[in-house]
Amino acid sequence: MFVPPRWADLLLKTFGHPDTLEEVQGDLLELYTYWVETVGERKARWRYILSVLKLLRPLAKSKSTEYPIPFFLSPAMIRNYLTVAWRHITRNRLLSSINVIGLALGMSCSLLIWLWISDELSFNRGFKEADQIYFVRQTSGMYTNEYTPGPLTEALKKDVPDVEKATRFRSWTDDYLIKAGQVAAKEVGMYASDDFFDIFQYPVLQGSPVSSIKSPNSIVITRHVAETFFGTTEAVGRTLQLNNDKYYRVGAVIEDIPKNSSIQFSWIVNLSVVEEDWMKNWGNNSFSTYVKLRPNSNQAQAETRMKGLPKRYRSDITDTPILQPIGDTYLYGEYVNGKPVGGRISYVRTFGLVALLILLIACVNFMNLATARASLRAKEVGIRKVIGAMRSSLVGQFLGESVLLSLLAAVLAIGLVIGALPLVNQFVHKQLSINFFAPTFWISMLFLIVFTSLIAGSYPALFLSAMQPVRTLKGALTTAPTGAVFRKSLVVFQFTLSLFLIIGMLVIGQQMHYVRTKQLGLDREHILWVPVEGALLPKMETYRQEIQRSGAVVSVTTSGALPIEIGSSSTGGLTWPGKDPKDEAFVYSMKAGYDFAKTMNVRLVDGHDFTSPDSGARYLVNESAARIMKLKNPVGTEISYQIGKGPIVGVMKDFHLRSFHEPIQPLVISLYPKWTNYFLIRTRPGQTDKAIQVAEQVARKLNPAYPFSYHFLDEDYEKLYRSETLVNTLINYFGLLAILISCLGLFGLATFTAEQRKKEIGVRKVLGATVTSIVGLLSKDFLKLVMIAILIASPIAWYVMNQWLQNFAYKIDIEWWVFALAGLSAISITLLTVSFQSIKAALVNPVKSLRSE
Amino acid sequence: MKRAFLGEFEEVVLLTVAILDEGAYGVSITQEIEQKTGRAVGFSTVHTTLQRLEEKGFLSSRMGGATAERGGRRKRFFNVTAAGRKALQEVKQVRIDLWNALPPQTLQLMGG
Repeated sequence: MFVPPRWADLLLKTFGHPDTLEEVQGDLLELYTYWVETVGERKARWRYILSVLKLLRPLAKSKSTEYPIPFFLSPAMIRNYLTVAWRHITRNRLLSSINVIGLALGMSCSLLIWLWISDELSFNRGFKEADQIYFVRQTSGMYTNEYTPGPLTEALKKDVPDVEKATRFRSWTDDYLIKAGQVAAKEVGMYASDDFFDIFQYPVLQGSPVSSIKSPNSIVITRHVAETFFGTTEAVGRTLQLNNDKYYRVGAVIEDIPKNSSIQFSWIVNLSVVEEDWMKNWGNNSFSTYVKLRPNSNQAQAETRMKGLPKRYRSDITDTPILQPIGDTYLYGEYVNGKPVGGRISYVRTFGLVALLILLIACVNFMNLATARASLRAKEVGIRKVIGAMRSSLVGQFLGESVLLSLLAAVLAIGLVIGALPLVNQFVHKQLSINFFAPTFWISMLFLIVFTSLIAGSYPALFLSAMQPVRTLKGALTTAPTGAVFRKSLVVFQFTLSLFLIIGMLVIGQQMHYVRTKQLGLDREHILWVPVEGALLPKMETYRQEIQRSGAVVSVTTSGALPIEIGSSSTGGLTWPGKDPKDEAFVYSMKAGYDFAKTMNVRLVDGHDFTSPDSGARYLVNESAARIMKLKNPVGTEISYQIGKGPIVGVMKDFHLRSFHEPIQPLVISLYPKWTNYFLIRTRPGQTDKAIQVAEQVARKLNPAYPFSYHFLDEDYEKLYRSETLVNTLINYFGLLAILISCLGLFGLATFTAEQRKKEIGVRKVLGATVTSIVGLLSKDFLKLVMIAILIASPIAWYVMNQWLQNFAYKIDIEWWVFALAGLSAISITLLTVSFQSIKAALVNPVKSLRSE
Repeated sequence: MKRAFLGEFEEVVLLTVAILDEGAYGVSITQEIEQKTGRAVGFSTVHTTLQRLEEKGFLSSRMGGATAERGGRRKRFFNVTAAGRKALQEVKQVRIDLWNALPPQTLQLMGG
């Protein structure tokens, strides 16, 4: 006896028609033997396989049953499904609109978040040959600095064979006045070293940026600068005056820098023009450095070769350069122990999660209402089954209905998103838009619809299709306990998510309030800052004196950096009596002018402020710095730092330097009025307007070539917490939205229950129940569920929020009342939602509800 | 009821079943057709046709006893029903009528 191919047999068993399987298998086996004997094994196998394939069900039409089942996707059935679905949607308009609106809200939310996330993910990834471009940081193993010393660029090019090109630019941008003919305006730009355009290949409109930047007399400008000043992008060869000082010839015009790039500028000039001696010092970290590796090299190899590079040039610097692919710099900007640990990516993840949660809440609504209405449709399902519907066709029908509703919701959601985008863009500081021509958009929409309709429709589909027709037709389902339990757990789930968001909202809000109002140790209110430009620099002291004389100003100081952007540096240059040569402490440095402590309202523990007309090297240190220097009597001690050897004149009480994410660091302020970028002006409370006027008048007098500009320091502090503020605002909206959607669902459910228990309420009223007792009866069920949700949500929320607070060096404690407040508000919202329906039900005249039968 | 249409291959199969009498089942029918008509027919075609004929009510079937050569699987034997016989008769009658209607010279040309 010959054995036919086993796989073909298996195929037949699985896909052949079960009714005729036995004889077909037998016949084929017999035929196989016959074929082997007559035409040989090879042909026999071939015939056998062919016969099997032709007998598989989708190919072979087998109508062996007495009553054929119509294919569940035949046009007639689809038409029937649509008709029935449409009837259901229109029959109960309230519940349907609750469904669709809830889903649409959830979808538009996730759509917005998706837009935001894809924008975040696209950051810094648009460069040509981006996989070869790396950002250079320096790490001591413990501290990682994103700014690097100036000489590093040349050293990398010279000593590391993997590095093909390297460039650096100053870690800050310059907002300079540009003049060309009659047009004058301020534009942000920067100074970069020779290789800049070799590495960053921006689209060129005219000229050659690569060669242009190498000349100290030419400037590369972007499209909008060219259009503003010359009215055309063909601007090569024209001249413009920068910062009221030097004239430059336009060497090239490039396309505007895309918004999703970390490097932003409108003009760019060779660094050598502004390079000063200290910038060539290995001890000063004030440059952003980028390299382009050779195509045959890789990050690990290059990093090994640049290990300890600075040490070869200056023995006291132990930092080593490390690389990060340029695409990662935006999202993974935080380094701990020399390794990237995340950064903005955590926001991306958080929002992704929030989007999913809200969508889930909306889906739960859908499931809830659909299961609640299951009893109404039980008869329909029963009849369909009796007539011969297969379970698969019922599942298909209910899933189809949810696809229909999801589609409706998706259309609504796109409308909502288009309406909301301008507002959203304003507070996320982005230019998000829906690109209707991008296939990714449609793919994500499709995914969203499929996801929602699968989640939302799965339970009703499986639950309803599983019902036994005998029971449903007898009307047994109205009191089916399984549906009720499931519904209840869904409500609990939904409210757990909403409560979680509310608690998150409260904690984040509190922390942000704390951050905004906590005493920094320096007073950020009533401080105005004015950039020092043009003729103001030499006349700085005159300016200071003049505005200080006006009654509106308390005091004025000058500084090299704003208090929020105090630069960091290693102790490379800092020495003090008794310093252990191996000491590797890390201090922040700043250069400031006279009356610094007075203007900033920093309390001095000892000594005095920088006062005019002090000159020579003088230092102010904070308590932390005094502590790491282990000085018993710091005031008067001679230390040497960036400006040479000089005494400490005062010790400041510790104040917060940057954001609350970081603990207070040691700080050394050098008296160096020459290195000034800003005037910091403390105004008298209530006289800010007058102070601005005075500052402007004097500036116009001393520096007529420049337009006057000013800013408020507290606004810059706000910017420090921009991402947190964003999270805070968004989570507020999302929390409210989640509650809104949940309430919509609850409202629907309450409507439904009240409707179902109409008779019961009637009987109770006839027997003497009061309106209050009936309202209580109806609300009690829902309240119980919300209580359970509170119990579940509180510990989870506590844990997650505690984790989030770990990001801050200074943080609030999570207090019990947060949970109480969240719970209480959830309960009261529930009561409000439910009571509307229950009071309505309780007020109905029992005669009406009992009469109908 | 409209009379069920009998296709050419259906007719061949139905006739073969009638010829084989008690021994008509998938394999024997396939082989018989192959021998009698000299054309290679796929088993699946025969099987499907048998199903269709049964559905139309021209054939009835019953399961036979198990045999060892088929791995213990039973055969499904087919019988021509009264309707089947009637259908065959009708087809035959139609053919005869058509032949009779042929003009004699045409018949001569065909060598009949």
